[in-house]
Amino acid sequence: MIIMHLGKYNLKRYRKWILPLVALAVVTEGAAIVCGATFEKLWDGLFKGVSFLGYMFPPDWSAFPEMLQPAFQSIIIAFLGTVFGTLLSVIFALLAAANISNTWVRNITRFFIGFERSIPEIVILLLLIAAFGLGTMPAIIALTLGCIGMIGKLLADTIEELDPIMMESMASVGANKTQIIVFGVLPQIMPNLISYALFRFEINIRLSVLLGAVGAGGVGYELDYSFYMLEYHRAFTALLVIIIMIFGTERLSYILRGQIKMKGALK
Amino acid sequence: MIEVKNLTKSLPNGRKLLDGISFKVKKGEFVGILGASGAGKTLTLRCLNGLLKPDKGEVIIQDEYGKGHDICKISKRELRRVRQRIGVIFQGYHLVRRLSALENVMIGRLGQIGTLRSILYGFTDEEAAEALLALEKVKMGQYAEIKTGNLSGGEMQRVAIARAIFQLPTLLIADEPISNLDPSNAKVIMKMIKPLSTTMPVVGVFHQPEMTAKYCSRVIAIKEGKMVYDGDPKLSNNMLVDIYGEELGQIEQQEQGILAPIIN
Repeated sequence: MIIMHLGKYNLKRYRKWILPLVALAVVTEGAAIVCGATFEKLWDGLFKGVSFLGYMFPPDWSAFPEMLQPAFQSIIIAFLGTVFGTLLSVIFALLAAANISNTWVRNITRFFIGFERSIPEIVILLLLIAAFGLGTMPAIIALTLGCIGMIGKLLADTIEELDPIMMESMASVGANKTQIIVFGVLPQIMPNLISYALFRFEINIRLSVLLGAVGAGGVGYELDYSFYMLEYHRAFTALLVIIIMIFGTERLSYILRGQIKMKGALK
Repeated sequence: MIEVKNLTKSLPNGRKLLDGISFKVKKGEFVGILGASGAGKTLTLRCLNGLLKPDKGEVIIQDEYGKGHDICKISKRELRRVRQRIGVIFQGYHLVRRLSALENVMIGRLGQIGTLRSILYGFTDEEAAEALLALEKVKMGQYAEIKTGNLSGGEMQRVAIARAIFQLPTLLIADEPISNLDPSNAKVIMKMIKPLSTTMPVVGVFHQPEMTAKYCSRVIAIKEGKMVYDGDPKLSNNMLVDIYGEELGQIEQQEQGILAPIIN
């Protein structure tokens, strides 16, 4: 590569970068003008944001006990969504794996999983609120569906990568499909399944806070409501609870997934 | 007993992969199938337990009651029933790696116990003891609880043999069982397979003529889908050259010239 050639140090080596950089600068500037983004606004906003944090400080510790129940509710929403979603996604993954199901079922299931993935959870929640009304129920369903979109896809790919000879050898002792799935496929994908589920749980915790603000209840709603009522100190408490919650689950899931990887490494 | 009649399989473009393969293996025989890569050995073997359907021909396998079944014509359900008594040892490692050695042996009888029983109840203590006995027969008793993924190639192949023994088969099929094993392990595995042929016909595909000469009771050679030899396991040099092609003869001649002092 010429760019690595120290002996030929001259401006020529930068020439091919000039055009792309100029083009990028023009496009960026154009986009900024169109949507009205300027650096003055950025500095202004940053200053306001920092001073706003000043308003919020210190947190209202007296509100802390009343945050615990909503925080717990958020965790429960995420947990139930993950559990139901993971269980269902095993079924969907089996249907979406080419080496287990037939071509038609596979393609239809893959389409459904991909379609689900393309819709944000918030949109699903809004649709579900229309059907179920406000509350935790639509949030749990939204997270369950989100789980199927992600874990279903990852797991189906994992199943398709399984050793075909292993499954063939089970078929050649007269085992039927159910037995091959229960005693061949499931044990082999279990570490991946647990790892995906833990990862999705992290995502679901964050999403359940977000969905809470939209109308599913939980600590997200507390944050939204406090802002709405201009109780900034209370909002700060909610924010701290959310940060602790997310950080805690991420650490927990990281530790658990590390354990699994260590065992899986011997595979 | 297993009888293969006029097995034929062609590609859509008309090229014949298997062309009129016929042989019969009785109890007490250990038949080795030899042939160059792509000659159709594994293809033949896959037809024997119904993993592959031939275009023409019959594969008749006697079940435990002495009744013959044509593998190529029976229904899926019947095929599963016949397969319950066909032991298989595949090339490489075909075990469920995250299950223990003992559990892998038990898989051998999955077809024989019903689906519901296998999922809800599992095996009885007597059956578990039998499975352990099968593992001990191949000297793997102390590894019963270890996940097979952590075993070496030779150990995995022994578990596979134990699985076949536990199955109480009426026929044993082995597809290159010693291909990725070191020479001493390969000999151990061959020594374990050979005595099984006293109670059931054993058919195996091999790449090692010296091994089949030593352990098999009969050798079948396949070249370009056709059977070219069926008889004594000790093949003549001319026959080997015929099976594996001209190149082998040339290479061996060269090696005798160049490498002879080193080898001897």
